[in-house]
Amino acid sequence: MKRFNVNRILIEREAENDSLSKRIIEKLPNIPIEYVALNELALQEDIEEMDKESLRLIHYKGEFLKPCPGTRRYICCGYQILNVGINCPMECSYCFLQSYVNQPSLRLFTNLKDRLNVIGEFIDNHPERIFRIGTGEFTDSLALNYITGWTHFLLPFFSYKKNCILELKTKTSFIKEIIKSGYRKRTVVAWSLNTSRVIASEEGKTASIEERIISARECQKAGFVVAFHFDPLIHYSGWENEYEEVIQLLERYIDPTSIIWISIGSFRYMPELKWRILKRFPDTHIFDGEFITGLDGKQRYFKPIRVEMYAKLSERLIKWHDNLGIYFCMESDDVWEQSLGWSPKNSSNLSLYLDNRVRMIMPA
Amino acid sequence: MMKNKLLNGSLVNIAISDIDFKPGPFCMSFHFNLEPLKASIKKFGVINPPYLLRNSDNNFSVVAGYQRLMAVKELGWQDIMCHILPDSFSLLDALLFNLNDNLLHRQLNNIEKGMILQRLTRFITTEEIVTNFMPILGIPSNKQQLELFLGLEDLEERIKISVAMEQLSIRVAGLLRYLEKNDRLAINDLFTSLKWSFNQQWEIIQWIKEIASRVGCSMKEIIDSKDIKEVLDTTMMNKPQKAKGIVKLLKYMRFPSLSKAEKLFNKSISNLSLPFGVKIIPPPFFEGTDYKLEIKFRKDEDLKGKLANLYNLANLNNISDFWKGV
Repeated sequence: MKRFNVNRILIEREAENDSLSKRIIEKLPNIPIEYVALNELALQEDIEEMDKESLRLIHYKGEFLKPCPGTRRYICCGYQILNVGINCPMECSYCFLQSYVNQPSLRLFTNLKDRLNVIGEFIDNHPERIFRIGTGEFTDSLALNYITGWTHFLLPFFSYKKNCILELKTKTSFIKEIIKSGYRKRTVVAWSLNTSRVIASEEGKTASIEERIISARECQKAGFVVAFHFDPLIHYSGWENEYEEVIQLLERYIDPTSIIWISIGSFRYMPELKWRILKRFPDTHIFDGEFITGLDGKQRYFKPIRVEMYAKLSERLIKWHDNLGIYFCMESDDVWEQSLGWSPKNSSNLSLYLDNRVRMIMPA
Repeated sequence: MMKNKLLNGSLVNIAISDIDFKPGPFCMSFHFNLEPLKASIKKFGVINPPYLLRNSDNNFSVVAGYQRLMAVKELGWQDIMCHILPDSFSLLDALLFNLNDNLLHRQLNNIEKGMILQRLTRFITTEEIVTNFMPILGIPSNKQQLELFLGLEDLEERIKISVAMEQLSIRVAGLLRYLEKNDRLAINDLFTSLKWSFNQQWEIIQWIKEIASRVGCSMKEIIDSKDIKEVLDTTMMNKPQKAKGIVKLLKYMRFPSLSKAEKLFNKSISNLSLPFGVKIIPPPFFEGTDYKLEIKFRKDEDLKGKLANLYNLANLNNISDFWKGV
């Protein structure tokens, strides 16, 4: 997998002296730098194309650790998002960021390292809780790591937090930096999985399925706990056989005993995202399926279709190994019951289930 | 400034053969009916003389009064009194002059609005057009709308006529620009052959597009499919019935599982033999789990009777998860 092209660095003045800014400039010595004011150069044209070849270095003033918003109409997992930046250099047609971000460029928060103590304090003040924290919600956790070196300070920092795990979620094969690191404790490396067809047509600039799974094997061999996310599942003619091929690759390369969890979720989107997607990816096939309006206002596959996909996939995964920590992302109690034969009933119980997976697979 | 220039414009008798009738840089007329105007001219003559500007071929370009000139030409006039604007009159001023003339005298259709915006782009920045001209034309002031209206001129004449006659929604016309020529003409024919609301058109065009994408064929092939053709050609239905029939067919093609679930649900409900005025309403798209019961009644006795009937209905214990059979 090739590294991403960066053709300019925009530095907001307040970010100039942050250590991450200095590192990035050092890592990309031949890339032109522009010093800009807050929100300067945020043009509408740039937003539409998302300006994915510019890095914008920002001294972030918001909260770095936030609970995943979820929705009360479906069962959510109680995840925490570590906000390292927004936007991603890859080109997944279905990406929600296309309608979520209102500023262009790959926006990196350069004062993250300086704010870790605040996050650490918060985690330490709640020893009774398990914090499942991820950086892969608003960007890919590893896609820009060779530039930012996020894992250089995040891995050591979280390795000492006993009531916490850091999940690095990616669609890349960029694992060199983390394998080189001496830290393994409290870090989960996770891959988003999809069929070769979906990756080829809908997940531009990402690693192939083989690259992802082989990278996961390398991480396992190097002592990392891994996770997988079948999300978004795409329904199309032939999906069953092609997702079966993905599971066969997992069987071939992955030791199931050190998988902390496998999540499954189907493609869902806010109605306004559709027009953004069709404009940027006019040949996409992701809207071919049978979508209805869900309880949260998002478009999602008609329930029997979701149940069929979830049931077949989870049944097949359980056949491989019966203790994989399978869970559904943003689904209802009845869909859980009909697909998996049990349900956590509510978000608190799903949180507890996943917290127990942490206790079991990664004991403090 | 403009006033002074106009005062200098002289009234001259011009030979019809010296006038360039091609829709020129100031023209903003599309799909008009000349007959009422011809009748008026026959009776009263040309009350307001048209305005012309001398062009580089030493002929005259029409600035204002295009329809009047077309009418007199069709009436066989050889010449007409016109105002000749001075050579110093700029092209932009000529365009704005005609725009004001049109805004004062008539309603513009959407194709004509697109023509005006297209012509303005030669002289004025996008920002200025959005801020100053789109509100005058009654169009929401944003770049997306501007792009939509500017694109109308590239559509085939047949489609432009449908837009001008308000048989085709502007939103759908915007989407047509990105389709293959055969597909957009087929869509245009489908929407103009029957009466559809603009919301229906928007929904239907997306369904057809998504069905075609899923099946791997063109949109035209979907429209030309046997089932749709049969509905279009039948003499047993009137136009609203045909439109309804096509919506039903397309819905089934676009949402086969949902349609099947709805069918199963309706069948199950009819098997319940609910009392008259009692309805069971499923959760929208069967996504939720809660059904609603609706009872229409007039008086307490009526309600009591219906509740008693319901209570004694033997089949009531079969009403869960209708969609499971899909």
